[in-house]
Amino acid sequence: MRVCVKLFASLRERAGWGERWVEIAAAPVSPAELWSQLAPELQLSAQLPDGIRVAINHAFRPAGTPLADGDELAFLPPISGG
Amino acid sequence: MEALPPPLVARRPPAPQLTIELRQQAFEPLEALAAWQSAGPGAGEPAGLHAGTGAGTGPGGGGWAPAESQFIGRVRGCTAAGDPLEALELEHYPGMTEVRLEQLARECAARHGVLALLVVHRVGRIRPGEAIVLVAVAADRRGPAQRCGMELLEALKHEAPFWKREWSGGRGTWLEGNTAL
Repeated sequence: MRVCVKLFASLRERAGWGERWVEIAAAPVSPAELWSQLAPELQLSAQLPDGIRVAINHAFRPAGTPLADGDELAFLPPISGG
Repeated sequence: MEALPPPLVARRPPAPQLTIELRQQAFEPLEALAAWQSAGPGAGEPAGLHAGTGAGTGPGGGGWAPAESQFIGRVRGCTAAGDPLEALELEHYPGMTEVRLEQLARECAARHGVLALLVVHRVGRIRPGEAIVLVAVAADRRGPAQRCGMELLEALKHEAPFWKREWSGGRGTWLEGNTAL
């Protein structure tokens, strides 16, 4: 199973990448679990920080939502619009 | 016996007209407003009043509503720390930002029963004094026009994927939230 992970703004800069396909060997996996795998690379805590929101296929979702093959998963830092 | 007047045809209020645009280049908000107003509720219909909505069509074919609110947000000349600002960079999530803006606008418009709503939002590099965002609402009364506009502005500042980076002295700093209301 593969999902497309997208990072934005400060998260993208920390990681040095904005989009990456990630292979998931053992489904089901949630965004929170996938984050714990990415966290060392981002030098952030393995537990998803409070201010980071999760979107799956362009909709905000709880971090515990099970991912499906081909999903687009985004980790979004605190929003500042307008 | 006098002829009776034709019966009023009860009309369901039309669905609010939503105009939502992301702009990569600088835009002049007053021009965007004028274009939206000329295409507003009732535009293109025969001149006269529209039963049930309070809006109308002018002799030139442009629509008008009894109440209209507008907000323009522009880039400040200084950073949050008070240093001179070179530019504000607005990043967005192509695909999701548009979907969320449309969703927020639709929900807000329905909640307040407004006639039409306009959002124009910049992305990319924006200079001090240039417009970041324009929100306008056309409604039957002042309360819905003003409250819908205020609510939608706060909603898009917190619920639509946008991120601001301030550029000053050649360095960029991502903002961790919004300025106080």
